[in-house]
Amino acid sequence: MNAYPNLQVQLGPLRLPNPVLAASGTFGYGLEYADLVNLSLMGGIVVKSLTLAPRAGNPPPRVTETPAGMLNSIGLQNEGVETFLLEILPRLREYGVPIIVSVAGETVEEFCAVAEKLTRAQGIVALELNLSCPNQMRGGMEFGIDAKLTATVVRAVRSRCELPLIAKLSPNVTDIVPIAQAARDAGADILSLINSVLGLAVDAQTRRFKLATRTGGLTGAAIKPIALYHVWRVHQALPDVPLIGIGGIMSWEDAVEFLLVGASAVQIGTANFVEPTTCIDVLQGLERYLVTQEIPSVQSLIGTVQDIA
Amino acid sequence: MARWELLATVVEHRRRAPEQYELILHAPPIAEAAQPGQFVMVRPLETHAPLLRRPYSILRANPDKGIISLFYAVHGAFTELLSLKQVGSSIRLLGPLGNWFQPVRGVQRHILVAGGFGAPPLCFFASRLAYSLKAEERIIILAGARRRDLLVGLDEFRALGAEVHVSTEDGSHGYTGRVTDLLVHQLENPEPAAVYACGPNAMLKIVAKICTQHAVPCFVSVETPMPCGVGACLGCAVRVALPGGSQWFRRACMEGPIFRAEEVIWE
Repeated sequence: MNAYPNLQVQLGPLRLPNPVLAASGTFGYGLEYADLVNLSLMGGIVVKSLTLAPRAGNPPPRVTETPAGMLNSIGLQNEGVETFLLEILPRLREYGVPIIVSVAGETVEEFCAVAEKLTRAQGIVALELNLSCPNQMRGGMEFGIDAKLTATVVRAVRSRCELPLIAKLSPNVTDIVPIAQAARDAGADILSLINSVLGLAVDAQTRRFKLATRTGGLTGAAIKPIALYHVWRVHQALPDVPLIGIGGIMSWEDAVEFLLVGASAVQIGTANFVEPTTCIDVLQGLERYLVTQEIPSVQSLIGTVQDIA
Repeated sequence: MARWELLATVVEHRRRAPEQYELILHAPPIAEAAQPGQFVMVRPLETHAPLLRRPYSILRANPDKGIISLFYAVHGAFTELLSLKQVGSSIRLLGPLGNWFQPVRGVQRHILVAGGFGAPPLCFFASRLAYSLKAEERIIILAGARRRDLLVGLDEFRALGAEVHVSTEDGSHGYTGRVTDLLVHQLENPEPAAVYACGPNAMLKIVAKICTQHAVPCFVSVETPMPCGVGACLGCAVRVALPGGSQWFRRACMEGPIFRAEEVIWE
């Protein structure tokens, strides 16, 4: 038995050294963790969503803890794509970790403009479209909850960007499959799912909302079953589309569960806040699992979940 | 700015008052590096609920013994978990984090305004300040709370030889009223002063206003929810005024938790 399982994964045009990535918005631009985590061991970092111009974000309070999770409403605060390219990317590149950039916009044109600037940059391996952005043209509705809008954004970016394209899907829909299909048909190479689950929290004592924006996105361990469900459904419907599983992964066991239901890679989010080294811990746990279970590669695990006997 | 993620050992768990405790932790590199006003992110157990670490200001640090102290009051699931920690057990710590109080030079009075459970970082600051105090300088503590039993650190402040003034809203100890009334009284004295404050944001807002009116330099340590502590999540945003009139958000964990009072735009 090979004692060194193959951790490499191939997601369409994107090859990654291993399947454990940090999720957008949960790892800053990577540099925030550089003294605490060996970035070069990670499968990749999806940096915080970038917009064309700097964005101040939402008023506080922006976060609140909920049972086994947290609600956030950051409002896409970021320094803008130009500052990222000039000041952040050159420093992050030095760590040798695959860099994926999350692209956000309030209009289709903004998505395209950001993507165009990034596609010319050195050292970015893929773009991830944050389709959970509020759409300015539709009263702030998420792009990603509508199949046509999803297709419009993906197609527009596809035509102006040569990098592998990941569409990040929202769980806040009746049926995720038609949206996954629309994103794929419009040119997405990879789908990542899920983004945060809409929710809200109230303080009984003060009788007020706990977030300034009232509603927010739920993340953390609490959403793992929802995420597994959506990944499994999309994998059933579109078995040839490479998927990245996201949602409540706290341990290597959680990551293996996502691989079994059809994800080719995973992103770790909220767990990074709890333990900065979660990505590395998950990767090492996954490696031990493959060795002890005598599984030769991550790739041979994907989508192999079975019914209970 | 060095920081560590480590497993600290509980060396003492001291009850200070009903439902108020001091955790004394062996964490040598953090004890060595810690500055007054800095905090650590604490994870008592590997649970999913509570999920996130919580920030705790450092009450005191002893680099020689390699220990730090954290103050907490039992209120909710997280602090109940903390209260169960036995001597010899371990706790995950990440720190020291954030900026710290730095004494303003050229003033005669260092006025520390402690609101309720906001006192711990000021205890640490006062203890370091007492050592570096110049002949013409003195430390004045203004400690306020709703009730007597919610006042923290009076013994520590007095042991340093500081001048201590106390207020309670219900009159159970000291002046009856708010600690900000004590501040107004202090600033009626024109002798040059600097103010350093920690407590509820509602108190800090008033402290900031009073200091602006009296043109006294003022530093506030703000309280916000804080998921990561290292600048990644942007959850601990504090609205600040930028030169030129625009606004932006700064991170309490990185650019704070201590801000110049005049730059904070209170929500």
